[in-house]
Amino acid sequence: MDKLLRNKKAICVFMAPAFILFTFVLFIPICQSVYYSFCDYNALTPPKFIGLENYKTLLSDTTLIIAIKNSIFFLIFSCVTQLIMGLFLAALLTNIDKGRNLFKNIIYLPCVLSSAALGLLWMFIFSPKLGINQLLAKLGIEGPLWLMDTNGYIILPMWVIAFVALWQYVGQSMMLYMAQISGISKSLYEASYIDGCNKVKSFRYITLPLIRPMVATAMSLNAIGSLKFFDLIFNMTEGGPNHKTEVLATHLYQQGFKYFKYGYASAIGVLLLVLCLIVTAFINKVVKTEQYEM
Amino acid sequence: MKKITIPKILIYVFLIIMAVIYLAPLFWVFNVSFKTNAEIFTAPFALPKAPTFENFAFAWTAGKLGIATLNSFIVCIITLALSMVIGSMAAFGIARMRWKLAKLSLTYFLIGMMIPVHCVLIPLFTRFAKVGLTNSLVGLILPYLTFALPITIFIMVGFFESMPNELIESACIDGATIYEIFFKVCLPLGKTGLFVTGLMTFIANWNELLLAMVFISDDMKKTLPVSLSKFVGPYNTNYSQMFAAIIIAIIPTIVVYCAFSNQIVDGLTAGAVKG
Repeated sequence: MDKLLRNKKAICVFMAPAFILFTFVLFIPICQSVYYSFCDYNALTPPKFIGLENYKTLLSDTTLIIAIKNSIFFLIFSCVTQLIMGLFLAALLTNIDKGRNLFKNIIYLPCVLSSAALGLLWMFIFSPKLGINQLLAKLGIEGPLWLMDTNGYIILPMWVIAFVALWQYVGQSMMLYMAQISGISKSLYEASYIDGCNKVKSFRYITLPLIRPMVATAMSLNAIGSLKFFDLIFNMTEGGPNHKTEVLATHLYQQGFKYFKYGYASAIGVLLLVLCLIVTAFINKVVKTEQYEM
Repeated sequence: MKKITIPKILIYVFLIIMAVIYLAPLFWVFNVSFKTNAEIFTAPFALPKAPTFENFAFAWTAGKLGIATLNSFIVCIITLALSMVIGSMAAFGIARMRWKLAKLSLTYFLIGMMIPVHCVLIPLFTRFAKVGLTNSLVGLILPYLTFALPITIFIMVGFFESMPNELIESACIDGATIYEIFFKVCLPLGKTGLFVTGLMTFIANWNELLLAMVFISDDMKKTLPVSLSKFVGPYNTNYSQMFAAIIIAIIPTIVVYCAFSNQIVDGLTAGAVKG
């Protein structure tokens, strides 16, 4: 049997398709992307090495600064709110029996739907004359221009989009926490009740410490997801008004495929990749601790 | 008989409010998509007076959502099938075959989970444009397949590793070749895992917008999210048609979700717990 499992030819047959695809469609393009980010490259001219020029432009690009600000806002907002809401919902749902699956499935539903479609849906709900504003008009209130207001440091459309993102993706965090919580042994809780804990206390001293590894996982998923954020914004505001709701991904798309500045867009892509890696490493370092026996 | 306590009631009240927040927007769109455009403004929240399917028909044909749905199906089904075969082959190679670099190659594939698709967009686009893979469904299937592989490999490695050794041993004694062991013994046993990863792959690709938007500009080749985003936009003023288009785009995933929600949840948790 050993001979059969060490068969070099069979190993090659098994691994080759995946390996070739991965190398040519993922690994080499990433290297190219890094190279292009040091090049003057657009739709008309071939790449020409210009060193750090693109990265210097990044620093003076006002839209990019807004995009970074918005991306970081999304990152923090989604990490914090998804953690709180996700945990809260998971705690509630694991405490009820009747209808648990029903509520769980309803809240998770938007996660599997197309965020392009949901973005359009919410665009209509928050549009000046439809949806929420129709509802408010019935109550005699004139609703604000949800997606066009530009006052404040974090403008109203950003809060609206962040809310929609929370609405769409909180189900995912909830699901992950629920899976982890239901893996905790019942006897731990029973012991804590005998020791005089109430539900809130046992949540604080048993559930929270035991689900910490999952918090790290869910948070890094959120963080990467919010940095990659594209569909919702593209369909709700397209980065407008006046580039005020641009994030890194939409800015990359604009620069790369509207203005065809391939080199510059690659530099934004590299920035995005580096941010993803830093944030994941950071979250895993800060949140993750050793696994407890459950 | 269980005691009904006040906290329990509060929990249910809160959950019902949440359910309303989740379902109301979907019902609203569904409701409006059967109305005429004028009715949206005169009676926004009432049920449609004379439900009409014309909006759907218009979005399906003139909005080119019909052809887009077909394209999406082709792309998703082919990606699904290929990712299952290629992914589980590699997973078997990593989990069961004995070679030095098995662990390392698993890491290589798992790195792919962290890479945002945006980072490879430009090199892929310029290369594909050169070899004529833009504006073709093959050009979409290749990156979709590649990005589906890490999760497939990851989940299937778990499945193959948990299979008992005796299984392979006895097949071996019966004189099976390694390929027979894989295709006839291990793969059928891993079908729950395959099903889960298949669902995840299907949903992710069905909803993918960015790559499809960059790679495809020919209306006849566009996938559903792209055609939808183009049809529903600031220059269209017929709201009920746009709402019908949104419904067309989300109905297939809602159906899949209703049928397989448990498996989808399994896939999600299995995929996320990557240690």
